[in-house]
Amino acid sequence: MVAAALERVRPEVVLIEGPPEADALTRHVPDLTPPVALLLHDESDPSTAAFWPFASFSPEWQAMTWAARNGVPVRFFDLPAAASLDSEGHGSVDPIGLLAEAAGFDDPERWWEDVVEHSASDPIDLAKAVAEAMASVRAEVSTDVLGEHTLLREAYMRRSLRQSLKDFDGEVAVVCGAWHVPALMPPLPTATSDNALLKGLRRRKISGTWVPWSHGQLAASSGYGAGVDSPGWYAHLWEHHDDVVPRWFAKACSVLRAEDLPASTASAVEAVRLADTLAALRERPSPGLSEVTEAALAVLCGGDRVPLQLVHRKLVVGERLGSVGAEVPRSPLAADLARLRKRLRLPASLEPRQLRLDLRKDTDRERSKLLQHLEVLGVPWGKPDRTSSLGTFAEMWQLEWNPAFEVAVAVAARHGTTVEQAASTVLCTDAEEADRVAVASGILSRAVGCELPAAVEAGRKALDRCAAKATDALELLGAVPSLARTVRYGSVRGTDPELLRVALHGLLARGAVGLPLACRGVDDETGEQALSVVDDAHEAVRLAADEPHQQTWWRALTKLAAEPDAHGLPAGRATRLLWEAGSLDTDAVAVRLHRSVASAFVAGFLRGSATLLAADPRLFGLIDEWLTALHTPDFDDALPLLRRAISEFSPAERRLLGERVTSGAVERVDDEWDDAIAARLVARIRELL
Amino acid sequence: MTAVLRPTAEQEYAVELEALRVADDRQRPPNWRMSPQAVVKYVLGGTLPDGTVITPKYVGDRRLVEVAVGTLVTDRALLLVGVPGTAKSWLSEHLAAAISGDSTLVVQGTAGTSEDQVRYGWNYARLIAEGPSDQALVPSPVLRGMRTGAVVRVEELTRMPSEVQDSFITVLSEKSLPVPELNTSVQAVPGFTVIATANDRDRGVNQMSSALARRFNTVVLPPPATEDDEVQIVVTRAAQLGKALELPAEPPALDEVRRVVRIFRELRNGSTVDGRTQLKSPSGSLSTAEAISVIASGMALAGHFGDGTLGADELASGLLGAVVKDRVSDAAVWEEYLETVVKERAEWRDLYRACRD
Repeated sequence: MVAAALERVRPEVVLIEGPPEADALTRHVPDLTPPVALLLHDESDPSTAAFWPFASFSPEWQAMTWAARNGVPVRFFDLPAAASLDSEGHGSVDPIGLLAEAAGFDDPERWWEDVVEHSASDPIDLAKAVAEAMASVRAEVSTDVLGEHTLLREAYMRRSLRQSLKDFDGEVAVVCGAWHVPALMPPLPTATSDNALLKGLRRRKISGTWVPWSHGQLAASSGYGAGVDSPGWYAHLWEHHDDVVPRWFAKACSVLRAEDLPASTASAVEAVRLADTLAALRERPSPGLSEVTEAALAVLCGGDRVPLQLVHRKLVVGERLGSVGAEVPRSPLAADLARLRKRLRLPASLEPRQLRLDLRKDTDRERSKLLQHLEVLGVPWGKPDRTSSLGTFAEMWQLEWNPAFEVAVAVAARHGTTVEQAASTVLCTDAEEADRVAVASGILSRAVGCELPAAVEAGRKALDRCAAKATDALELLGAVPSLARTVRYGSVRGTDPELLRVALHGLLARGAVGLPLACRGVDDETGEQALSVVDDAHEAVRLAADEPHQQTWWRALTKLAAEPDAHGLPAGRATRLLWEAGSLDTDAVAVRLHRSVASAFVAGFLRGSATLLAADPRLFGLIDEWLTALHTPDFDDALPLLRRAISEFSPAERRLLGERVTSGAVERVDDEWDDAIAARLVARIRELL
Repeated sequence: MTAVLRPTAEQEYAVELEALRVADDRQRPPNWRMSPQAVVKYVLGGTLPDGTVITPKYVGDRRLVEVAVGTLVTDRALLLVGVPGTAKSWLSEHLAAAISGDSTLVVQGTAGTSEDQVRYGWNYARLIAEGPSDQALVPSPVLRGMRTGAVVRVEELTRMPSEVQDSFITVLSEKSLPVPELNTSVQAVPGFTVIATANDRDRGVNQMSSALARRFNTVVLPPPATEDDEVQIVVTRAAQLGKALELPAEPPALDEVRRVVRIFRELRNGSTVDGRTQLKSPSGSLSTAEAISVIASGMALAGHFGDGTLGADELASGLLGAVVKDRVSDAAVWEEYLETVVKERAEWRDLYRACRD
């Protein structure tokens, strides 16, 4: 529509709503593939920055490409970024909403779509009609409602407009939000009054560039101001003029089929029919996004919202990523990286080298932070060397710069203007998408390592969310130890340990409830896993949990020990831990040992307890009694596991145990050598070997 | 007219239906009694130009009703899915009454539903005396709907055995029903369509084959949108039940009902009301209907064995029974909920104690 109107008018200059500091950047337009964003920032403080995103269907983008094609100059004529960077969230009237309400629509986007986007009337007439409508809305609202910021912007727009009218002889085209049109229509107020309004506008040095943007970020959910909910849908509308709805459902079907979900062409036909009928039922000229979405839900997804979300993510929002050409100046992120490298004396060298960092020193800590931030941004300049153990105060890194990293830095520019900010954004986004406890806890410990409070908070939330969804207690408890270590030793990294302790307790509470169940009827492999999880979690609980949660843990162990169907390894281990703590008396353990024919229980009970076994006569007697009372087949079954349990003891422990066995515990010493028994013994041992 | 226990929708709302028909000036699909817009109005309520007030039959999302009616216009079959107590059958009855003026063409799905009830049966006396003939054929509601071009309702589709469900496939895709014994087939006239209801979370259902599922447009009816709506429904129904069963208990206190509804909603939605804590959902459906029965059984307990007022102790056993349907996995869910949510709420201490006992 914009291009058609420009083609008709053929102006000498195009004025576009946007910051005038970006005028020089418009020459890069042919090198860009939308979605892209204009990024302007304060030169002295790159973290004060703002993005102006453009999609292929944005009217501003249309105007820019038309101008570039036709060699017509482009000027941005909104308030300069120097003055607007700091001002945030200027709530103003929603004019489209007001008009839609007057027309009896509940959804402003739908009204706009029906009346403007679907309309086949002449573009110039349409623009006039919209301007008239806006004028009547503006006549209704007072200037207070408009807001000071809007008035300021419009004054600046008028000033630029006057300038352009002076500079060019022919037609001047203006591309701006419909809301501002009445303010720019003649008769314009006097230049003096506008100048008075604009007096004292903040000035500072602004620089900027183009950065690649994505449809996901265009969607309002990403948080950059005036986003659109459904960039993918608008791009689709923009790219296809015929058969919009059938093409849409064909795409939706292929998205679903790619995930192995059933979506036949016949279903697509029915979906098109339903969307058309719904549009007719609602008396709309043609199906809009709500109609196609509802039809997709009812026909293609069988009423299930999960596949619909897939369609939403891949089609309605879309995954398109823009790109910027090589000529485009580098991003503030790259500039920030260069600055940090200089300050921290870390030159980008293509030669690999070792770097040892002492985290107690400020510079080294900053360096570690930078390397970790870059790792998050997909720039693995430094590789952490985790082979050597240096304690919690030192780190070893392997540094090697790779020219391909420049590309990654350019791509990462859309996440923020400083390395720290961008890393935080990436981690927060990852945290939002995390769906497994291990992933979330990985993000959390990364965020702690990076010292990014916002990301730590996001990671903690993600962990909470995943923990609630997780059905596997072992998965939950598996994340406890690393978290416990961070809680216990995390002070070096400057994160509030209390925050993590809450997360730890959450994991523990949920994991403890499910533990007995998770050990029921599992195979040996899972049993082994459960054993190590119980061990590690037990250690972690002692290290970092508070009193009530230690109680919760003990309760879980008691339940596990009493669970008849639990795998022997974790149940045995739980029994021993309880016995060590004095919660279970030796008699109870004896009963339990006798009951368990499956020796996994004994293995779980014994593993790593040599000293105890040697030192506690009652325990020793217990095991001895159990072992000697076993029948031959049971003994054969028990032997491998038993051997495994014993072989894990250290040689010293084994010797101790051996001494214990041969010493006075066995009292019945017979002088007589019984040949028959000896022969049976020898035969039996031969058989076993 | 003799009084009946429950008149059908077209009898009870005959006046509204007639007024809508008279006022309706839009195009009607063939064999429809009124236009799709009028059907939507009949279901959602409104006022006609002549002042007749149409009572709302379904309180909920307008879009859902529009999709349902839109489906029927495209002669596709409609499948209404939802947990018990989400007004599936109610909506289906009213749609049939508005569209065909007859909501009595019903096939009730049970484990014992046979193919005869979906296709046709025989009048055996005639069959033996005269041989197979049109007169000996006993048409099913589906067959009658096909002949007259009316909406046929199928209740609890997924309770039918799978092979019986699948006999709908030909009817829905070919819009005809072959009668090999007579060497003919019955072809549906315009207006014929099927509204089926199914319960997706109950036990003892037979999963639909994907061949059949493809022939339906599915509309999922959600549980009541807000806590207040649901509390209101539970209070009204529980009070009615109490009166009908002549329970000696007082009507339930609003606070107790709110507590039960909140527990149900939190477990159903998988997160606490403040959205801070995420929860697991148990295997049961935790429908509004079950919340009503928890309150009603609590009232019975309080009335016969307690002091007549409903409290935490009376609720605890009912709650346990409603939430824990699977002894193992649901018990863990309930335990986790008690430990992470109920325990933390200071004003719920009594409930926590009662549930722990």
